[in-house]
Amino acid sequence: MDILTILFYLVSSVIIFSSISMVIVNNTVHAALLLVLIFFNSAILWLMLQAEFLAIVLVLVYVGAVLVLFLFVIMLLDIDYKKNVSRKLYLLFSVVISIIMFAELYMVIFYHDFSGTIETSLISNSGNTYEIGLSLFTNYIFSFEVTAFILLVAIIAAIAINMQEKKRSLRQNPSKQVLENKKSRLKIIKDKN
Amino acid sequence: MITMTHYLIFSALLFCISIAGIFINRKNILLLLMSIELMLLSVNTNFIIFSHFNNDINGQVFVFFILAVAAAESAIGLAIIVSLHRLSNSLEINLINKLRG
Repeated sequence: MDILTILFYLVSSVIIFSSISMVIVNNTVHAALLLVLIFFNSAILWLMLQAEFLAIVLVLVYVGAVLVLFLFVIMLLDIDYKKNVSRKLYLLFSVVISIIMFAELYMVIFYHDFSGTIETSLISNSGNTYEIGLSLFTNYIFSFEVTAFILLVAIIAAIAINMQEKKRSLRQNPSKQVLENKKSRLKIIKDKN
Repeated sequence: MITMTHYLIFSALLFCISIAGIFINRKNILLLLMSIELMLLSVNTNFIIFSHFNNDINGQVFVFFILAVAAAESAIGLAIIVSLHRLSNSLEINLINKLRG
């Protein structure tokens, strides 16, 4: 066994076991931290597949931004973990369904002839990032710009969903001020005497 | 020697675990979103495996787009979760019937 084989079995077993424990753990913070472990080990696996740029993007964008966002939301929501919800009902059902799915996928993968695909070096001498950039900015330039627009929509949507007017804010409302007239402000009370 | 079949079976196993996670954690919407992230990770791994073994860079470009869309999706999903928690003070899915669909 060479070092790459040992590394593959080590990394993939870490990913599989931590994903199983992420699925069955009850605490959401533990699940998010296990997800960080899974993403790190997947980055190692992607490095073994010579996808250096995407491995670094996975660590920087996913672990650095998305999972930190998950942890922030968990911290903000302050969920009650003591309230133990019963999950035993769907455990057997889900295990049966996923075993059936895995058996089908296993049969498809194992009996399909992948012998024509020999492991070759994708990178000539220019590097993985150079190749991706060349393809991204020539063939996929329109998709790249659509992706930028999608990210903009995500920013605006995330702000717009959570924006709410403060109920007792002391801020002035200019349009309301303009619409005010003398009748709504002044009230003349006749003196009885 | 690690062949393509090893990688593909690993990816299929990861996908099936996350499917089971969606069934098990159907009470907690936050864990549901995490299981979806795990599914996207296994799909991305599949793309990279085929890109590596077929000597084609387009698979990795696709993974780039999937990562961007998944980041946008999880940001909007977390925003919805925050506003939902503000509305009903719980994260249980069967209590979410505000639209009466």
